[in-house]
Amino acid sequence: MSDVAVAEGGSGKRQGVMGRVKKARVGVRVDMTPMVDVAFLLLIFFMVTTVFRRPLAMEVNMPEPDARVEVPESNVMTIYVAKDEALFMRQGAQPLQPIAWPDLRATFEAGTAANPDLIILVKIHREARYEPMVDMMDTLEDAKMQRFSLVEMKEADVAAVEAAR
Amino acid sequence: MANRRNRVRIDMTPMVDVAFLLLIFFMSTTQFKPPETVAVDLPLSKSEIHVPETGTIILTVNRTGQMFISDENLAAVQELAPDNVLAAIVQWRERSPGAHVIVKGDKDAPFGAMADLMDNLAKAKTLRFNLMTDLRKAGDEPGPNGASAGGR
Repeated sequence: MSDVAVAEGGSGKRQGVMGRVKKARVGVRVDMTPMVDVAFLLLIFFMVTTVFRRPLAMEVNMPEPDARVEVPESNVMTIYVAKDEALFMRQGAQPLQPIAWPDLRATFEAGTAANPDLIILVKIHREARYEPMVDMMDTLEDAKMQRFSLVEMKEADVAAVEAAR
Repeated sequence: MANRRNRVRIDMTPMVDVAFLLLIFFMSTTQFKPPETVAVDLPLSKSEIHVPETGTIILTVNRTGQMFISDENLAAVQELAPDNVLAAIVQWRERSPGAHVIVKGDKDAPFGAMADLMDNLAKAKTLRFNLMTDLRKAGDEPGPNGASAGGR
């Protein structure tokens, strides 16, 4: 210890005057590099794994269960989603015709342009999946159709779809 | 003097301080996703409505059409038989009247199960609810032709 102090002091003067070794403060340098490395590693890990994203959702507003609205058949466009998710549409009382998913939005927009009172009725087969329902709601939203009706197919509808194939 | 390298010492203390501060912040705010008791593959939608994180009733429908009810923690998930879905919804709604109802349906769930669930929600006077979805990326069109159905 004294050797270090002497060396640090850089002269023998102190030793000579005081007659004993003055305990000089030795700065202990701790190498902090590894600790800082670890800290940054953890920092990066937590920054990357932190998810600020909250789950997203669609808003659904249903009518009162016993609400009944009379609509003339000519104002109704019915879209059928079959069991295999093939689409069919029917304008008013016209026969069913197949339609493709990409044409759906244009059909809705053309329909509303021709008849602003158009109401979309979506009938989905019970054994179809849930995804086409969400896709349908998304497409209706894209076509600015806020009001539509979503029901499951009755047996007559299933038969009509099978006949239109 | 000329051949001696003058070493520049940078005081790293403030940087390390900030680093530790950030480290503590991220450590304390990170919430690891609770293990999902019911695996659900959400459908995609362009909708960007955020659902509240607390005060929710989550109705989960898995890909076979089984229904589960829980709060937002998804910890105490209760499985529902088809006949007591309505009773359970009414009971949960009474327990927390202001709660948001969120339907978390698997995209491959049968539509029939979802239709029944929506009927039951209507009967339980829950006319406003949310359908939990994942964000659909631009260029991914709805329908079986879109990329959303590509992985099937």
